[in-house]
Amino acid sequence: MPRPQPRTITLTIDGREIEAAENAMLVDAAKHGDVEIPVFCYEPKLGNPVGACRMCLVEIEGIGKLQTGCSTPVKDGMVVHTQTARVKEAQKSVVEFLLINHPLDCPVCDKGGECPLQDISFGWGGGISRFIEPKRHFVKPLELSPKIAIDRERCILCYRCVRFSQEISEDYQLVLLERGAHSFVSTFDGHPYVAPFSGNIIELCPVGALTSRSYRFRARPWDIEDAGTVCTLCPAQCNVSLTVRDERVLRVLSREHHEVDDGWLCDHGRFAYPALADGARANTGGDPTIEVLEGKPVASNGLGPHGVHVGMRVSEPLLRDGGELRPVSWERALEEAAAGLKRAGAKTAALVGSGATNEEGFLLARLMRETLDSPHVDSRPGGALDVELARELAAPALQAKVSDLEFAHSVLVLDCDPIVDAPILDLRLRKGVRRHEMKLERVGGDDLDALRDTATRLSRQGEELVILWGERFASGVDADERARALLDLAAELSLGETDGAGLLEIPATSNGRGLRESGALPNAGPGLIAAETTGHDAAAIAAALAGGELSALHLLEVDPLSAGDAFAAQGSPWQGALERASTVVAHATLLSEGIAEHANVIFPAGSYAEKEGTVTHPDGRVQRVRQAAAQGGITRPGWRVIAELSLRLGHDLDVYDQKEASQQLFDAVSFYEGLTLEEIGGRGVRWQERERALAHAGATAEPQPDAERYSGADRDTHAADTDTEGEESRTGEPPRGGERT
Amino acid sequence: MTPVPRLGDDARASGWDRATDPEKDPALIPDPATCEVPAQLRETIEAAMARYPDRRSATIPALHAAQSLHGWCSPQALEQVACVMRVTPAYLDSVASFYDMLEQRPVGRHSVYVCTNISCSLRGADALLAAIGEAAAGDEENFNVRSFECLGACDIAPMASVDGVYVGPLSVEDVPQLLDDARSGRPVLPDKQLATRLVADPRANSQEFPAHAVEDGSSR
Amino acid sequence: MSDELLFKDIDEPGLNTLSVYEARGGYAAMRKALSMTPGEVLAELEASGLRGRGGAGFQMGKKVSFLPKGAMDKYLVCNADESEPGTFKDRELMQKNPHLLIEGIVIASYAAGAERSFIYIRGEYVLQADVLDAALAQAREAGYLGERILDSQHSLSLVLHRGAGAYICGEETALLDSLEGKRGNPRLKPPFPANQGLYQGPTLINNVETLSTVPLITAMGGKRYAELGTDTSTGTKLVSVSGHVRRPGNYEIELGIPSREIVYGLAGGPPEGQEIKCWFPGGSSAPVLTPEDLDVPYDFDSLAKAGSMLGSGAIIVVDDSTPIVELALKVAMFYRHESCGKCTPCREGTNWTVKMLQRIDCGEATPMDLDIMASVQDHIIGNCLCVLGDAMAMPIGSMIAKFRGEFEQHIETARMRANLIVPPVPADEQALFAHGAS
Ligand SMILES: Cc1cc2nc3c(=O)[nH]c(=O)nc-3n(C[C@H](O)[C@H](O)[C@H](O)COP(=O)(O)O)c2cc1C
Ligand code: SF4
Ligand code: FES
Repeated sequence: MPRPQPRTITLTIDGREIEAAENAMLVDAAKHGDVEIPVFCYEPKLGNPVGACRMCLVEIEGIGKLQTGCSTPVKDGMVVHTQTARVKEAQKSVVEFLLINHPLDCPVCDKGGECPLQDISFGWGGGISRFIEPKRHFVKPLELSPKIAIDRERCILCYRCVRFSQEISEDYQLVLLERGAHSFVSTFDGHPYVAPFSGNIIELCPVGALTSRSYRFRARPWDIEDAGTVCTLCPAQCNVSLTVRDERVLRVLSREHHEVDDGWLCDHGRFAYPALADGARANTGGDPTIEVLEGKPVASNGLGPHGVHVGMRVSEPLLRDGGELRPVSWERALEEAAAGLKRAGAKTAALVGSGATNEEGFLLARLMRETLDSPHVDSRPGGALDVELARELAAPALQAKVSDLEFAHSVLVLDCDPIVDAPILDLRLRKGVRRHEMKLERVGGDDLDALRDTATRLSRQGEELVILWGERFASGVDADERARALLDLAAELSLGETDGAGLLEIPATSNGRGLRESGALPNAGPGLIAAETTGHDAAAIAAALAGGELSALHLLEVDPLSAGDAFAAQGSPWQGALERASTVVAHATLLSEGIAEHANVIFPAGSYAEKEGTVTHPDGRVQRVRQAAAQGGITRPGWRVIAELSLRLGHDLDVYDQKEASQQLFDAVSFYEGLTLEEIGGRGVRWQERERALAHAGATAEPQPDAERYSGADRDTHAADTDTEGEESRTGEPPRGGERT
Repeated sequence: MTPVPRLGDDARASGWDRATDPEKDPALIPDPATCEVPAQLRETIEAAMARYPDRRSATIPALHAAQSLHGWCSPQALEQVACVMRVTPAYLDSVASFYDMLEQRPVGRHSVYVCTNISCSLRGADALLAAIGEAAAGDEENFNVRSFECLGACDIAPMASVDGVYVGPLSVEDVPQLLDDARSGRPVLPDKQLATRLVADPRANSQEFPAHAVEDGSSR
Repeated sequence: MSDELLFKDIDEPGLNTLSVYEARGGYAAMRKALSMTPGEVLAELEASGLRGRGGAGFQMGKKVSFLPKGAMDKYLVCNADESEPGTFKDRELMQKNPHLLIEGIVIASYAAGAERSFIYIRGEYVLQADVLDAALAQAREAGYLGERILDSQHSLSLVLHRGAGAYICGEETALLDSLEGKRGNPRLKPPFPANQGLYQGPTLINNVETLSTVPLITAMGGKRYAELGTDTSTGTKLVSVSGHVRRPGNYEIELGIPSREIVYGLAGGPPEGQEIKCWFPGGSSAPVLTPEDLDVPYDFDSLAKAGSMLGSGAIIVVDDSTPIVELALKVAMFYRHESCGKCTPCREGTNWTVKMLQRIDCGEATPMDLDIMASVQDHIIGNCLCVLGDAMAMPIGSMIAKFRGEFEQHIETARMRANLIVPPVPADEQALFAHGAS
C-alpha cells in the first residue's frame, strides 16, 4: 500500500503564515505555528476524529459556524482564528460545561499535576462556574479490573477509552451504557475489563477517571523522575518511559515510537515491570497485580523471611555450600565461579537468554572463546542455523520494518503467534487490516507447500508482502532446509527488491537478534562471521553435559529447567545435563527452579531498568537500555562480572566501563561499526539504514575478534554521553546502594 | 427550602455505582458450544441478519426479538443474541441501553406508555399517568407503566400506547377499563383506538378539556 | 381544502391495499417514471422546488443531484422516525396510504440510482409498521419491488427497519448509525450522507412526506407542482396541529396561507374562554411565536423571517392557562432525555437547563438565573455536533426573551410559596428518568 505522501501547503493561523502537510488536522497543523488548540477527545492514535468534546472549536474564515479543529483538514490558503472573542467564549463555555459534573477533587486526584482537564481549565477556562446546583455523586473509585480503577464522577465522556477497546484492541469489552447525561463507561454485566492491552486506557484518559491500581497514590508528578528505556520482556522491545521515585520504578508508560510500538504497551510490559524491578523491596500495597508478579520480598541482606527460596529476587551473590545456597561476598562468589570454570576450561559451555544485552552476550562469548578457549556458546533455543543462511536472512534488502506490517498489501504470519510472541505487533497487524485493508493470513510451519501457495496467492494481490515468521520455524533438525525454502520463496516473490515487502523474524528471546549479531552463537562470531571452530548448539550442549563430554555451564539469564524460559522448550535433556555438570554459574534476576537446584554460584542480574547497554530489535533497530533505578542489594553490572571473571582466569577483556563494552561491540560487529551511543540515542538506529549496512552484504569472513583488536581501543573517542534520558553519571558506576565488598 | 430534584439521585442510571466482579471472566463473544440459544430466537436473528448488507444492522431487530422472549434485555438474553450475531454482549448492552423501548430490568407483561410530552400534558397527560400508575400499582406482574416522550399521536391527546396499540383521547375515567382490557387480552378501548380515527376527526376532541395539569400540580 | 394531493381519498376504506390504491391510479406515476430516464425524473423533482418535509427544508431535487453518478452501491433511506414533539403526519400517510410512500421510494431511488432502500420507522409505530409490511409484501408480489421492476433496468430492494425509541435517530446521520446497528449517535459532517452515508456508500435520506410527494410530482409534472404554494415554498404541506385547539389533527394546506387560517380556521382555535399564549410553528424545536405572529404566512421563509421555522410542520398551540415555566421545563426535559450524550454542550447544557428551571419552579432561583439560563442557551447554539442542542436552546431562548416578565413573576411567587407551603416535587421528573433512558 503506498504510504501517504502529502504535499505541503500554507495557511494562516492568528495572522501567522505556517506550512503544514495538506489535510493534516488543524489542531496538528497549528502546532507548526506554535498555536495550541485544546483537545480532549482527539487522539490520532485512535483513528478518525469523533468531534465529541467540542473543546477545539475555532473560527475559519468563510465558514459561519465555529469548526472543530480536530476534524478539519487544512487546505491551502485557509485562514484560521483561535483568539477571537467568539472562539474564546465558546472554549470557555465548553470548559464550564465539562466541569458541571466533574468533581473539583484535584487535591486528592491521582491525575492531579498531569491532568489535561486541569491544564485546559487553567488555560482556556473562565475561572468561575455559574453552576450552583449540586454535582452528581457516585460511589468511587470502583474496580474496573484488577489492574484499573474507574471514577465515574470524573469521566468527561471523551470516548477515548471505549474507542480504544472497540477500534484498537478490538476486544469490544469496554462500552458506553445509557444515553445523554446518563451515559457512563462500563463493561457487560459487571464483567471485569481484562484484555491484553487494557492498560493503555489509563494513559488515554484525559482525566482521573481511569487510574492504575498499582500506581494510585504512590507518587505525585512533582516528586517523580521519568527515565526512558526499552522494555526487554519480549522481542517487541517497546520504548517505555519509567516513572521513578526514590530509585524505585512505580509505573511504566509508553514512550511512543511509531517504528516500534506505535504508542501502545501490552499489559505485561506495563504492569509486570515495577514488581520485577522492585521485587526485593516491593511495597505492593496489597495490589493483586503486584502480588502475582513479584518475587516474594526478601530482606536486603538477601535472606527473605523464609531464607533463600525459589521466586525471590536475587539481590546479592549466592553460593552453594553443603547443598544450601547462601549469600556470600562478591569476592568469594567470583573466586568460586572462576575456580569452577578454570577446572572445566574448554569443557565449559554458555547459554545467553532473554534479559541479556548485546554487550553481555558479546562479552560472555569472548569469555568462552578467548579466555576458556571453548566454542560452545549459544543464544538460539532452537538450535544452530547455518551461518550463510543466517547472514542471508539478515540481509538488509530483505528486512521488513515494523511499520511495513501496517502498510503492506498483505502479511503472512508464519509459525508464530504475535499476540503471545510480541504482543504489540498484534495491534499493528489489526491496524493494517482495519485502516489499510491489509490482507492477513496465518500458516503453520510444518507444511512448506501451504506456505508457498499462500505466499504466492497473497503476493499476486499486491507485491508488498511481508512474511512475519517465528524463530521456531527455522529451528530443529531441518532448520537449514526450512530457512532455505523461506529464502527461495522470498527471492521468487522478489521481496528483497520491493520496498515495503520483506521478512521479519520474531526471535524466541527478547534480544535474540542482538545476541546473534553480537556473536553469541556456536558457529558465528560478532557480525555473523563464521567462527573458526564451530561449537555445540544448545541441544548439543545439553547432550554433551549429560554425556560428560562437557563439565561446566555458564548461564546468562537462562534457566533451561524453568517453565517459560525459551530454552526450557528443549525439555528433558537439561535435567540430566545440570545434574551431571560439575560447575554451574548463573546470572539471574529471580531465583528459578533450575538454578536454585543446580547452580553453584549465582550472580544477581539487573533487570532492564537497572542496567545499561544495547539491544537489537527484530527489524535491526539497535536500541539503548538505560538504567532508571538502582538495583536492590549488593550488585554489579553484568559486563563487569564477566570481565572480572575473565581477569581471574588470566585474560583481560579490557573493559572497564559500560561505554567500552558497547564500543568493543560496535567495533567487532562489522555492520555496527562506527555506531556510538549518542547516535543511537533515545530512538535507536536501524543498522540497515546506515552506510555500514554494506559491510554485512559484502563482507567476506573476517578473522574472528581477538584480544589485540581491542587493546588500545581509542577510548577518548567515546565522547561524553549527551543523550537526553538518564544521567551520564549512572553509566558504568556501581549503582548507589550497591558495591560493599 | 425544598430540595431540587437531583439528576443522579432521583434518576440514577442503574450501573453508575457498579464495580466489576473480579470473580467473573472477561465477557468475550459467547462460545456457541456453551451458550444455549432457543431455536426460534436463533432463526429470527439469522433471518434478520440476512436482510442487511452488514449483519450488525440486525442488532435492534434481534434485541426486540430477545426482549419479547425474555421480557427484557437480560444478561442472558444479550448473551444469546451475542452468540448468534458473533459480537460481544457489551456491544449489545451499549446499544440496548441507548433505546427507550429496550428494557434494562424485568418489567410487567403489558407495556403502558403514557405520552407526557408537550401536547399531551397540555391536555392532562400528567394526571392520566398518575391515575394509571395508581390503578396499576401492586400489579407490577402485569403492567409496565412508563411515561414516554411524544408518541406521535398528539391529535388524540392525552393518549397512551398499550402493548403498541394507540388509544386516546383518554380521560381518568377510562383507566379501569383500559387496564382491564389489557389484563384480559381484550382489544383495548376499541372505540378509542387510533386505528379507527379519521384525519382531523371532528369528534376526536369534542370532550371538554380535562382539569388542567397546572392545577393538579402532578408535573411539579 | 380544494386541491388535496397527499390526502386525496386519505380516509377511503382499504386505500392501504394494493387493489384500492391501484384503482385510484396508484403506481401509474412509477410506470411513467420508469419510462423516462433518471435524469428526466430528477429534472421534474428539481423543477418542483419540493423542499424536505422532515425539518431541514432542503431542496429534495438538489439533494438527489448531490449523489455521485456512476455504478456503485448507493442507498436510499426513508426517515420515518417521526419523533419531533407535535408531529404525526408521517404516521397518517404510512397507516392510510403506504403504497404512495413505496411508489415514491421506487421513483426517487430510480432518479438517484440507488438499488437498496430502507424505511427507518420509529419502533413505537407498531400499527403503521405492520401496515407497511403488508403493503411491501403486495408490492413485491406485484413486481413493483425487486429485480428489474416492470422489466425496466431498475432494481430495488426495500427493507422496513423498526427503531427502538430514540428521538435522535431522526437526525439523519444518527439514523444511519442506528441502521448500522450502533448507538444512535450523530456523525461528524462532512462527509455528508450524499457522499458517505449508510455503510460508507452514497445515501439519499428523505422524510416520509417528502418521498410520498414524489409520485404526485411525477404525475402532475414539476412545473405544475411548483405553481402551488409560494416561489420558495412550493406545493402543499401536511401540518399536524395539536395542543390547545378544538380540532387537533393533520391538515393538508397550500404553503403560504396565513397561519391563523390553520390555527383558527382548520383547527378551531383555543377552547372556549381561552386565549393563545404562544405557539410552536414547527415542532418543539422551533422558537415560540406569539398571537401577534398568527398572520405570518405559513411557509419556510416567512416563518424564518419571523424568527422561527416551519420545521416538520407541527403546530403546537399553548393557551394562557399554561405557565410558561412549566412549558419550558417540559421542553428542556424532553431534550435532556433525548440528548445522545456524545457532545459536551448538548449533554451538559440540556441537563443544566433542566436543573435551573427546576430551581425556578421550586423557588430556589433569582432573576439573575434567567440571564445565566439565557447565556447557557447561547453557548449551546452552534457549538454542538448536531442540532439537537440548538433544538432545545432556540425555543427556551425564545421563551425567556418573550416571556421574561412571567418568568420573573414565577420566580417571585415560587419563592414565596417555597417558604409558606411545601410544593410537591415533580413526579414526572422521576417518571421520565427512572424509566426513560434507563
Ligand atoms: C434532532 C433531530 C431530529 C430529527 N428528527 C426527524 C424526524 O423524526 N423525521 C424526519 O423526517 N427528519 C428528522 N430530522 C431531519 C433529518 O435530519 C433530515 O434533515 C431529514 O430527514 C431529511 O429529509 P427531508 O430532506 O425530506 O426533510 C431531524 C433532525 C434533527 C437534528
Ligand atoms: S473514562 Fe476517561 S477516557 Fe473514558 S470516556 Fe471518560 S474521560 Fe474519556
Ligand atoms: S478535540 Fe475536537 S471535538 Fe474533541
